[in-house]
Amino acid sequence: MTPDEILEQLKQKFGDALSGTEVKGVEVRLTTAAVNGRPVCELLRDLGFEYLNCLSGADWTTHLEVVYNLSSLRHPHKAHLRVRVDRDHPVVRSVSDLWRAADWHERECFDLFGVQFDGHPDHRRILLPEDWVGYPLRKDYADERLVPYTDYGMEEKVAKTEAAKGAPKAAKAEPPKPLSKNNVTGEIPGTA
Amino acid sequence: MGAPRRRVRGAESDILMDTTNLPIPIGTTVMIEHAGETMEEMYVNMGPQHPSTHGVLRLLLKLDGEVITDCIPYIGYLHRCHEKIAENRTYPQVVPYTDRLDYLASMSMNFGYVLTVERLMGQQVPARAEHMRVILAELQRIASHLLWLGTFGLDLGNFTIFIYCFREREMILDLFEAVSGQRLNYSFYRIGGMAFDFPDGWLDNCRAFLEWFKPRIPEYDALVTDNILFQKRIQGIGVIDAKSAVDWGLSGPMLRASGLKWDLRRNDPYSIYDRFDFAIPVFDTCDVWARFLVRRQEMLESVKIIEQALDQLPSGEITAKMPKTIKPPAGQVYVRTESPRGELGFYLVSDGTPKPYRYKVRSPAFCNLSALPVMMKGCLVADSVAILGSIDIVLGEIDR
Repeated sequence: MTPDEILEQLKQKFGDALSGTEVKGVEVRLTTAAVNGRPVCELLRDLGFEYLNCLSGADWTTHLEVVYNLSSLRHPHKAHLRVRVDRDHPVVRSVSDLWRAADWHERECFDLFGVQFDGHPDHRRILLPEDWVGYPLRKDYADERLVPYTDYGMEEKVAKTEAAKGAPKAAKAEPPKPLSKNNVTGEIPGTA
Repeated sequence: MGAPRRRVRGAESDILMDTTNLPIPIGTTVMIEHAGETMEEMYVNMGPQHPSTHGVLRLLLKLDGEVITDCIPYIGYLHRCHEKIAENRTYPQVVPYTDRLDYLASMSMNFGYVLTVERLMGQQVPARAEHMRVILAELQRIASHLLWLGTFGLDLGNFTIFIYCFREREMILDLFEAVSGQRLNYSFYRIGGMAFDFPDGWLDNCRAFLEWFKPRIPEYDALVTDNILFQKRIQGIGVIDAKSAVDWGLSGPMLRASGLKWDLRRNDPYSIYDRFDFAIPVFDTCDVWARFLVRRQEMLESVKIIEQALDQLPSGEITAKMPKTIKPPAGQVYVRTESPRGELGFYLVSDGTPKPYRYKVRSPAFCNLSALPVMMKGCLVADSVAILGSIDIVLGEIDR
């Protein structure tokens, strides 16, 4: 089966529910809504994607996204599935029964993005303590201890170079004249 | 007792939530009747401060006498939200942070990251830099496996192998120090090439090391591989079959020890790995013993790759011509490489600015550790250390 055929099968079953479909080399890329996340995953699993490489979240400020990277050990195809999730009610069906590897990945996604995985067997935070408030990888996450990164002096430096580009080159400052070798007293010439 | 990292301090939150949910307090036993037999049930905490958890990992074991009936890993003690940090740094600034992911294989971590950014930019790398990358990454694989073998021996009470392995690892670290000036966190890979060329005489030193290293494997064999006590200790424990291994997303030596011939250097070649001739060691007993044999064999295969790369090493540039500010075009990519612990994946989303919009690390040890309960169930408490050791975890990479 070629990636194009895989995409064809997906399109046949889901039709307009899929968007952003494209085949990039051996990779099939597609985007779908949260309700279709699980059925698409089931079909992909049946089409031979038995290995879940990575499950990650992404915050696009207007909506959240759960990204599945799938592959197979038998053929070189890969799948890159993006599932759009509503930001206020971020719920998707869990796929941890399709791929057990999704178990911890989904917990991590919940921990850092706050996406709820419906049907997950052990829905707890994984990296942060259980009573942590907020989801750190969301773009609007605020914490009083979070110190913003500053490029110390970088902005001034950039501004200076930008200004220097336009302005004519300043005349080279003359180097200070060396003291005469005979001047053993250390007097500065011309001051006496 | 208590959880010092908690934000809300109070009488309630001083007790770990999961511990309060247990039917009996940790460390006490209760007799229960099950299918006509009397079982002695007990919960035991292993870690977070335990010498054989290789870092701060906590395992909650449910025991029936000496037999483990369940195991729940608790991770996150080293969490520093690496991914959030990376979102606030420019692309080249992230390289030093990747060192701290898997601090025992920093070269491999750098390799994976720079490869991902280059893939996103469509950037080619000069041939000499590619060869340097392969040589250093494979040396790193040997160093990492040596450290694993040493500490694994230590876990099992075989102290001698630890000393031998560290002797060889020290030589590799000296080679790395000569190249990069660092012994652990190298930050030596750059987007588009390498930081520096090899110093004078380094190639001869590297060859001398390989010649010296090859006869060391039989030496280890005499110490551990042929040691009947060592064999009996690790054979038949921590079994995970091929189907479950794929299901749980195991990778690297763990997958190859379950009988699957799968190596990303061969199956999804990146960099210039398709130019080298090397074997993929596979064993199908699916136990700790098989994982030991896979890693032992892999060290020799890495030597083969390094020798070929040294022979083919071309002269020329070590960095491609790169723009001053690295701004990959908007898009996203997932790139996987074979780190000493398995499939290291980087998922990178760019919005066209100098900073990554989203950056995620698929850590191999994270996935391998998630299958620990499967391997632990039914084993003896004394074997838990051997099984945990066989996964080759690095907490810096699991917790990120």
